[in-house]
Amino acid sequence: MSINLSGLRFRKSLLSVSVISLSLTACLPQEKQDAKVTINKNPYPSTYKALAHQDTLFTNATVLTGTGERLNDTDVLVRDGKVSKVGQDLNEQGVTVIDLQGKWLTPGIIDVHSHLGVYPSPKVESHSDGNEMTAPNTSEVWAEHSIWPQDPGFQTARAGGITSLQILPGSANLFGGRGVTLRNVPSHTMQGMKFADAPYGLKMACGENPKRVYGSRKVLPSTRMGNVAGYRSAWLAATEYKRAWEKYEKDYAAGKNPQAPKRDLELDTLMGVLEGEILIHNHCYKAEEMAVMIDLSKEFNYHAGTFHHGVEAYKIADLLAENGNCAAMWPDWWGFKMEAYDMVEENVAIVDAVKNSCAVVHSDSAITIQRLNQEAAKVMYRANENGFDLKEEDAIKWITYNAAKSLGINDSVGSIAQGKQADIVVWSSNPFSVYAHAEQVYIDGAKVFDKFDDKYQAQSDFLLGQTKAGK
Amino acid sequence: MNNNKSLTNLVGAAKATKKLSQFSLLALACFSANALAESVAITNAEVYTLASKGILSNATVVFDEGKITAVYANDELPEQLSVDKTIDAKGKVLTPGFIASNNLLGLVEVGAVANSRDGAAKKADITFDASLAFNPMSSLIPYTRKGGITTNIVMPKGGDSLFKGQSFAVNLSGDFDSVIASNNGVIVELGAKAKGSRALTLQKLANTLEDADKKLTAKDSKKKSKKEPKRSEVVVNALLAGEKPLLAKVDRATDILALLKLKARYQLDLVLVGARDALLVSQDIAKANVPVMISTIDNLPNSFDSLHGSLTTAAELEKAGVKVIIATSGESHNINQLRFDAGVAVANGLEHSSALAAVSANVADVFKLNSGRISVGKDADLVLWSNDPFEISTQVDTMWINGKQVSTKSRQDALRDRYTSESDMPRAYIK
Repeated sequence: MSINLSGLRFRKSLLSVSVISLSLTACLPQEKQDAKVTINKNPYPSTYKALAHQDTLFTNATVLTGTGERLNDTDVLVRDGKVSKVGQDLNEQGVTVIDLQGKWLTPGIIDVHSHLGVYPSPKVESHSDGNEMTAPNTSEVWAEHSIWPQDPGFQTARAGGITSLQILPGSANLFGGRGVTLRNVPSHTMQGMKFADAPYGLKMACGENPKRVYGSRKVLPSTRMGNVAGYRSAWLAATEYKRAWEKYEKDYAAGKNPQAPKRDLELDTLMGVLEGEILIHNHCYKAEEMAVMIDLSKEFNYHAGTFHHGVEAYKIADLLAENGNCAAMWPDWWGFKMEAYDMVEENVAIVDAVKNSCAVVHSDSAITIQRLNQEAAKVMYRANENGFDLKEEDAIKWITYNAAKSLGINDSVGSIAQGKQADIVVWSSNPFSVYAHAEQVYIDGAKVFDKFDDKYQAQSDFLLGQTKAGK
Repeated sequence: MNNNKSLTNLVGAAKATKKLSQFSLLALACFSANALAESVAITNAEVYTLASKGILSNATVVFDEGKITAVYANDELPEQLSVDKTIDAKGKVLTPGFIASNNLLGLVEVGAVANSRDGAAKKADITFDASLAFNPMSSLIPYTRKGGITTNIVMPKGGDSLFKGQSFAVNLSGDFDSVIASNNGVIVELGAKAKGSRALTLQKLANTLEDADKKLTAKDSKKKSKKEPKRSEVVVNALLAGEKPLLAKVDRATDILALLKLKARYQLDLVLVGARDALLVSQDIAKANVPVMISTIDNLPNSFDSLHGSLTTAAELEKAGVKVIIATSGESHNINQLRFDAGVAVANGLEHSSALAAVSANVADVFKLNSGRISVGKDADLVLWSNDPFEISTQVDTMWINGKQVSTKSRQDALRDRYTSESDMPRAYIK
């Protein structure tokens, strides 16, 4: 039984429940136990259901698996929304056969850094819901509570092959709040898009943003050292909170009737990180700051997760790999602030070249998310011009498998392999060409987009009936 | 440099310099870097002339003293070429250098560093000449060259005034004499406003033009006024005389139509900038012969003024007969992606040749630049590409600005090399 208590003043009214608990307790208590207080970790559960789908055999495609393999002239069988077989000359009865001669097939594209829905189009004040810029630590806010599912950007991203994406809150704060991973299906509720078993993410931000926002208000942090002091104070509090809950659990199990710690939404999130259930997604550009964040994670015994916008990740590629950190990067965004000045176009490739690395290409843009394949292509070609030997099967990982790993969903999506959920993009040609189109997009084996079939081109409520073209 | 300089003048000047160079090369070296440009023939190139000769295979382009002096199709090649240097293009693609526009290149080094920004000022008005602030040493410029861009139209953001100031043209040589033409277009911003009504800005624009027009007409019929016109009046008069384009930043179709009316009334040299809903009135724009400067990837309904932005806008405008200029969206640091944005437009229906023109010849036409095409007399702003310039796999092989080869090495390359080299010493020792 899970009980949500926002304050201890409600506890007395639950005494009748505690009597039942008492009777179930094995050991003999010194006093009557109150109902056990537990935290409901999933109060806004996913209601996502795969769209209507049929079993399909894709034949004769150039398949990039997402795990470093290129399979020429290959067939992919999808049954019950999952990849059932990958091989040559597959013969199956009772399935729809789609001949992909000359076309390419990849896993669905995953963007680990998106603000669709929380900074939607149109960019009007009333829709600006992505950055709770009211305190340096807003771990208590959840991006999913800001999402407007009617953002037309979800449709355009789908046309670019995006099947899953993490929506993050903004980066004004040391702790910006929780991010959420979505399936990119049209829905009129956030829950209808929510990726069922994806772990939550916690957005943190290093560097210029927090110190600028709060420094200008004359509160901590106004410097980078202020940033770190802020993180340390928060993790200290979270460590104590976790200890209090552990003590409560232990005492309760021992048959005592301890008082449950006072619930704190901010600390719930941080405790989730300390328990390994919530993954860090840390906006952090600079090499020296990422190194500090890794040390910080060791000081408080959690994993520093994925560094986003890691413009200087190439300077510490070894350190990232040693500590199992993913780095999510742009191929070429730079210069908009000082911490983005040291861009190199080979950043992703340099990070990727290290053993046990996890290089990811991300967008942070409603425009760029529509062409993450081209973003990966830019890295691949620029790096190859400068001494690397990367191929399509390498570059696709940065926007599929590695992205899934960063989000903790690589067991179910991110690659074309037997048993994986059938998130698939059919490309008109080599997806690393500027002229390539995502022609068909599938999520859990269900077609969600078709470039040539209006039936599979969703339209947001917002645009319905007010655009001249009707779409 | 004056763009309207006649071809004979240019040729004359070139000949004079040639003589000088024979006389004393050293003295000349101190005089001007551009004068050192040698005569070069690029042979065996797939040449996209964007001029009457169209696309030529196995062609030869010759340039001397910064100007293109000959363009030979395969069967026109003379037996001997008298040039300092011959470059075998081995079938690679030669295009005019691309011309970017609608950005703050050379006016902003780092966006969030306030004192590295010169593209806007609260009090900037129609007379705002940001070319005075242009920095040819900006680290953005070598990086921009990587995109095959040889020329740029800088368009400052201005201030509170309806008119945001004037555009200027620069080449990307990085030399101190990079400004080709200052004050070559007047920027006005119309449409949705956070405070107040768009009607008032349209009204202000119309009134400004009407008042100036009345004054000019009165002057013609009566005695000349003794008063010197104000600096701002001189600029408005230049607009009315069609001497420079009015670059109107605008999105909504009704605003575009209002501008077309003003153009018809005062014979303005009008250019629409942004124009996200342009496809709704593409026929009107075409009929009025108004070029449109757009971002090809800006397809989201950012505001109620732009519910119809689409990846196919460029193609649809072109089909309607509109001259299109492709500009990158956003700020100045990634202008070198212009070629990919052109590629996206081609992937969405724009003819390849039209897309090329949209990043070269069309821009040159609007801003009266002597570049953007490969034909005799044009500036030798050229790019040799490893393949199709719009493809991501393609890279710039060699590029020339005013006939002088320029590097595409940037600060970014130095950083990459530093962090991909092995050394026993800290990386700071690797240079």
